[in-house]
Amino acid sequence: MGKFICTAAMVLVGSVAVLTAGGCGKKSLQAGGEAQSAQQGAMMKGGTGGASSDGAQSGVGSNFPDTSMQSGSSSGLMGLDKNPSEERLGAGGGGMLMAKADSSGSAGRQLEDVRAEQAASAAAGLRDVYFGYDSWTISEEGRQALVRDADWLKTNLAAAIKIEGHCDERGTSAYNLVLGEKRAKSVRNYLVELGISASRLSVVSYGKERPFCEERAESCYQQNRRGHLVVKTAK
Amino acid sequence: MTHRTFLGVTLGGLLLLAGAVGILESGAADVFLEATRPDFQKISLGVVGIQNAGGPDWLGGRIEEVLKKDVKRSLVFDLVDLPSLGIKVREVSNGATAIFKQAADNGVSLLVWGKASLKETGKEADATMEGFVYDSSSDEVVGGKRYAGSSSVIRLMAHRFADELVFRYTGEPGIARTKIAYVGEQGAARELYVMDYDGYDPRQLTADGFLNLMPRWSPDRRFIVFTAYRNRNSQDIDMIELATGKRWTLISYGGLNITPALSPDGNFLAFASSYEGNSELYRLDTRTKAVQRLTVNPSGDLSPSWSPTGRELAFTSDRGGGPQIFLMSSDGTNVRRLTFEGDYNAAPAWSPRGNWIAYVCRTPRKEYKLCVMSPDGQKRMQLTTGPGVDDSPSWSPDGRHLVFSSTAEGKSHIYMINADGKDLERLTFEGTHNSAPAWSPAS
Repeated sequence: MGKFICTAAMVLVGSVAVLTAGGCGKKSLQAGGEAQSAQQGAMMKGGTGGASSDGAQSGVGSNFPDTSMQSGSSSGLMGLDKNPSEERLGAGGGGMLMAKADSSGSAGRQLEDVRAEQAASAAAGLRDVYFGYDSWTISEEGRQALVRDADWLKTNLAAAIKIEGHCDERGTSAYNLVLGEKRAKSVRNYLVELGISASRLSVVSYGKERPFCEERAESCYQQNRRGHLVVKTAK
Repeated sequence: MTHRTFLGVTLGGLLLLAGAVGILESGAADVFLEATRPDFQKISLGVVGIQNAGGPDWLGGRIEEVLKKDVKRSLVFDLVDLPSLGIKVREVSNGATAIFKQAADNGVSLLVWGKASLKETGKEADATMEGFVYDSSSDEVVGGKRYAGSSSVIRLMAHRFADELVFRYTGEPGIARTKIAYVGEQGAARELYVMDYDGYDPRQLTADGFLNLMPRWSPDRRFIVFTAYRNRNSQDIDMIELATGKRWTLISYGGLNITPALSPDGNFLAFASSYEGNSELYRLDTRTKAVQRLTVNPSGDLSPSWSPTGRELAFTSDRGGGPQIFLMSSDGTNVRRLTFEGDYNAAPAWSPRGNWIAYVCRTPRKEYKLCVMSPDGQKRMQLTTGPGVDDSPSWSPDGRHLVFSSTAEGKSHIYMINADGKDLERLTFEGTHNSAPAWSPAS
């Protein structure tokens, strides 16, 4: 049944896309999206992160190449010959060329943006929330910190903040991304309870990929298990 | 083997058989009944030598060293030390019956020898290598190979020859030419890299300056899918084409978009996204671009790993409290729990042979180690012990090895280990943080 709805919606999306002239058809995809049943999920409704400004609004890429396994892609292994002829091997590791990394200045820009955020956050004196091992519950200390942060937000009505969820180095990278998100959402939810509008609060999880310290000690682990509040700068 | 163990193994074997038969009839799941061969007889092989036929002093020895390591790692051959058997020649001419007889008398099945040259012809160095094999069971030189190329492919020549040996004697391509994608650190940023399976020749793939994580290969090795924090505040699932460096965004929903995995036929991308509230599993049909939701529950579901037939997925879910490994059909039906021991089991990786699922298990002492479990849940083994956090297991295409990250020696580095826990070998030595290794398919 789900498949039928999906197919029907696809047909609808397809026809709407065809009718709308040219371009990426973002608007048409959005219209088609609404025709889909709720069960299939409205693909364009962003979650808490906010829709990215450059991706297709539907959330799914539309022009990426076919990743299907090409039939007959052989190893090129030919077996041993009694009278072997010469096989010429191409450069770059046997047929898999590797592009050089694209240094378009993106790395430098990221660094600048992070610095700007850090400066703004330091100026605001926002307090972070720390968590117990395996946990995303807000402690009494955490609540107090958030009350003060909420006060700042109520005084600085134009400000928006990003809540980063972090984890210590233990555990798997993947699950720590989920745990980090739970921590960030706990912080967000409490701030909303304190009267801050959710639209001012975005969440992101960095798991254990951007630690504040690296020592293998509980004092450092505690530093990394946190919801880190950052003032979003103009960009 | 004790009586109890024997009984356990027999019962386990019968259960496995019964379970597999039942499952095969219903068609609801895949369990490959691979004949586990703990007593698999490796083929004894001696490398006589790779002689220099013109070029720098290190040439023959270098190729010989690469070849010997490839042969040993294949786990198909038992590398024999010829001098210790009294076979002291370093050169073989095709009519050298004396050395062939010596080999046969000493129970050595195969002899391998060859020569290499390297000329600096003005701008380009021209390298050649030739190798031959004598098989004592048929008492003949069964054949050889000849390669030519620039000096940058010298290691590749040895790898290719090793793969040909494995192919000849098992019918499967060897793993010596496979690659490992991984995440390396550049300042505060984490970027994608690819290196040879033995840790050589690392190449940087991305330079976005923030976080690129969790690479996974397409089945034909042309593409890598990964999680990209392009604008620092959200993740997309991106894809990069290795030959050209071109990139596409596949998934850009709000929230977390993580742990992408292409199916063995390349037709589906399984991934986790929290755009509908909490982390759920989805699969994207890469041809129609349609997305189907696979899990529906208020817990976190992530880290999908495809079975080798593509009919099933293993994944991590905390629906039981803490993270555990679950299995389901690739359309989201028939969900069942696999791990019951321990309160934290995550990051599953289904072997290409189908017979084991590797994962990260937390011990009672809160250490994060590597475990394997059979897909029917009957057999479980802990593969690693000791300090440090072990993470992100990934199987070699021959199903005989795992690659993983570990902080056992301080910083996070990448290691290789046999599927039985033996022959631990460190692969990365440089850099401040190497993680998330993904072993490429064979070519």
